[in-house]
Amino acid sequence: MSAPEQPQLPPQAAGGGVIHDIGYRHYDGPRLGTRYVQRSLFVDGLRGAYGLGRSMRSKIMPLLLLAAMCLPAIVLVVVTTVVGGDDLPLGYTEYLFNVQTVVAIFLAAQAPVLVSRDLRYRVVPLYFARPLQRPQYVQAKLAAMTTALFVLMALPLVIMFAGALLAKIPFSEQAPDLALGLLAALLYAVVLAGVGLLIAAFTPRRGLGVAAVIAVLLVLSGAQVAVWAIADELGNTTLAGLSGLISPSTLVDGVLSSVLGASSTVVEPPGTLGAVVFVAAAVLLVVGCYLALLARYRRVPTS
Amino acid sequence: MNATVARLTSRAILGRRRALLLLLLPAALLVICVLARVLAGAGPDGADGLAAELLNGFGLAVLLPLLALIAGTGAIGPEIDDGSIVYLLAKPLRRSVIVVTKALVAIGIVTLFGALPVLIGGVIMTGGLGAVPVGYGVGSLLAGIAYSAVFLLLAVVSRNAVVLGLLYALLWESLIGQFVPGAQALSIQQWSLAVTQSVVGADAERLGIASAVGLPVAVVLLTLVTVGSVWYASRRLRTIRLTEDA
Amino acid sequence: MSTLSLEAVSRWFGNVVAVNDVTMHIGPGVTGLLGPNGAGKSTLIHMMAGFLAPSAGTVALDDRPVWRNEDVYRDLGLVPEREDMYDNLSGWDFVLANATLHRLPDPAAAARRAIDTVQMADAQDRDIRTYSKGMRQRIKMATALVHDPAVLLLDEPFNGMDPRQRLQLMELLDRLGGEGRTILFSSHILEEVEQIAGRIEVMVAGRHAASGDFREIRRLMTRRPHQYTIRSSDDRALAAAVIAEPSTSSVEIVAGSERVSAVGVERVGGVHVQATDFAAFIHALPQLAARGGIRLYEVRPADESLESVFSYLVAR
Repeated sequence: MSAPEQPQLPPQAAGGGVIHDIGYRHYDGPRLGTRYVQRSLFVDGLRGAYGLGRSMRSKIMPLLLLAAMCLPAIVLVVVTTVVGGDDLPLGYTEYLFNVQTVVAIFLAAQAPVLVSRDLRYRVVPLYFARPLQRPQYVQAKLAAMTTALFVLMALPLVIMFAGALLAKIPFSEQAPDLALGLLAALLYAVVLAGVGLLIAAFTPRRGLGVAAVIAVLLVLSGAQVAVWAIADELGNTTLAGLSGLISPSTLVDGVLSSVLGASSTVVEPPGTLGAVVFVAAAVLLVVGCYLALLARYRRVPTS
Repeated sequence: MNATVARLTSRAILGRRRALLLLLLPAALLVICVLARVLAGAGPDGADGLAAELLNGFGLAVLLPLLALIAGTGAIGPEIDDGSIVYLLAKPLRRSVIVVTKALVAIGIVTLFGALPVLIGGVIMTGGLGAVPVGYGVGSLLAGIAYSAVFLLLAVVSRNAVVLGLLYALLWESLIGQFVPGAQALSIQQWSLAVTQSVVGADAERLGIASAVGLPVAVVLLTLVTVGSVWYASRRLRTIRLTEDA
Repeated sequence: MSTLSLEAVSRWFGNVVAVNDVTMHIGPGVTGLLGPNGAGKSTLIHMMAGFLAPSAGTVALDDRPVWRNEDVYRDLGLVPEREDMYDNLSGWDFVLANATLHRLPDPAAAARRAIDTVQMADAQDRDIRTYSKGMRQRIKMATALVHDPAVLLLDEPFNGMDPRQRLQLMELLDRLGGEGRTILFSSHILEEVEQIAGRIEVMVAGRHAASGDFREIRRLMTRRPHQYTIRSSDDRALAAAVIAEPSTSSVEIVAGSERVSAVGVERVGGVHVQATDFAAFIHALPQLAARGGIRLYEVRPADESLESVFSYLVAR
């Protein structure tokens, strides 16, 4: 790389000061753009979500939760291979719905890691001192959280798939199911990442952030169960179906069952209109979280 | 018990955002209870069953552990994290007094925001101060006390207190308890439910209120865990190390 | 009048020895604890304040152990390094709370006095959250002074202060020390220590490197015999010239041997010189070499550890 010639600073007249040329040079070469900054932020966020490159203490929780996600899958696989059978005892999408508690804890534990520290220690303005726009910061963090959640959910599915093949269940039967499962994982990841980061971005203290994320998710899922129970008592199936809209995880479950034909676990959106409502709600939630995050960071001063 | 420690602690827990969160949980419970009452009505038979189901599923299993987690860890965790606990420790004040005071404040808050709303929610749904609301009120009170003490201890011992508390309350008590019945023997939720079950009495079985442990065992374990947690937290606070990294 | 006594105190964290066999007695007046970052100053102060158990040895305040003894805080005030306090309280509320926690007979009067001492009366009703760094430091001082302690420990009190605040704090410490209190503050900046501390304790890499009057230590450092190893183009001629200098007391020629290292073939050995007057010798050496037409390849102090303490004290 060739650096341009620096002009020699002339020595000052006697009695004055002098700046010695000790060989510092300006960098005028090509610079990596904002895309690179954004990608670095994404990679750092993703690694941070699993505590990689951080202290042992930061690794314990995410890895413990990843293990908690995979353990039931491993048990399923062992049971299937030992007992035999022509299908896994639990489908991919059903598996995902059943381990949502673990996903929620992971989100609660790690979403604050991604956003709270930056806010609490007031380093966000430093990021914006780079040629990085606020939307790009938000996008990078969202993408990192989404990817982290996707990895968390995809890994047990892949383990189940490998186990199914080991148990001599035909590939052609399993592959479409797995694809659907992975798509479901992605959907859960996108929806939950937005909700989690949004709440965490409003609670700069880490401990409080964790509690806030889980509280909101639990209250919503509790409300969903309650409404469903009430509707069930009344015999109102439409209301029971629509109750899925209340909680993010049942919302995704509803989209999966009504649009993609996955076997539903709890709620069945009523008819085609129900499907449209669920999809619209999901899209609204994701976009809404993104816009709310943008609004949150617009309030962060530049200096 | 020290009034100044109590005042500082309650101000810290009830700080602006934490207070919002503490309000959100009981508010959700009460809204659901009102909805249930309005929509499902208070039939002579159905009301008790639905009330038991809601107070159990949302109150005892979700509201209480979460509130206690916020109040119990919030009573001491942030101070240890940012090092401001030195202003309490560098005083001629027994460490056990600090821990006991903080535990009492947390318990008070959980009672106010947790046990009381459970009782009120029960009254709303059943339309009176019957066995079900009182049973769940008492169970919630005891659960709040035990959870607060345990989570306070967690906050003294670990920087990951909130997540560890979640793992215990959500994974161990709820999820693992469903599949591994043995896990329910070590569950504050089940111990408190045993008390609720005995308060409700003969109707309990019909309403589906069934604890995994008997009443004497439950009472002994609740006492033991509460007292033991406070004692051990005091012990650990005497030798706590204030490291610089956050 | 109180004395903090450390007897053979060590503290290790796993394999890392943070404080290594330190014995010191800190009496009335202002004492500066000096040392570079990571020298073990904070660890030492934490042990003096009873927040860390010594791995070996004892820390006592007038024969009362400090560790696991909450009663010593009646006579001990601590100004921690960290900034965090109870942010949602006002300065007044916070100092008053500290006074109440000490169970003082008249907490309000004590808080009033402490806040006046640090000149924070004007800002006492604002929330601590809104304070600048210097104001935080002063409120921290007020909480430590509220019970009129005989011993005051301050961990890096001058960090982040502007020159005016620095001066004010120096005056305050000077006054408190003059009242017969035992005051210890840590710093890694020589000038701070020089200006107010009657005594200094120097920590280097966990060891107690020096203690006593600041000027006395400085004198000891410069006047003690210094040893150098010199490599030159003509060791024998250099040795002859050097021994004629009055500032040296002994010269020894070490037989050279060749050693292969990463930078090529390197000669080890040369002339060992013991200089009695360090300043004169350093001045004379280049002139001697120039006069004899000898090229100096390397002049290296032979006594590394003490030298680093010395250069630290003088050069900073």
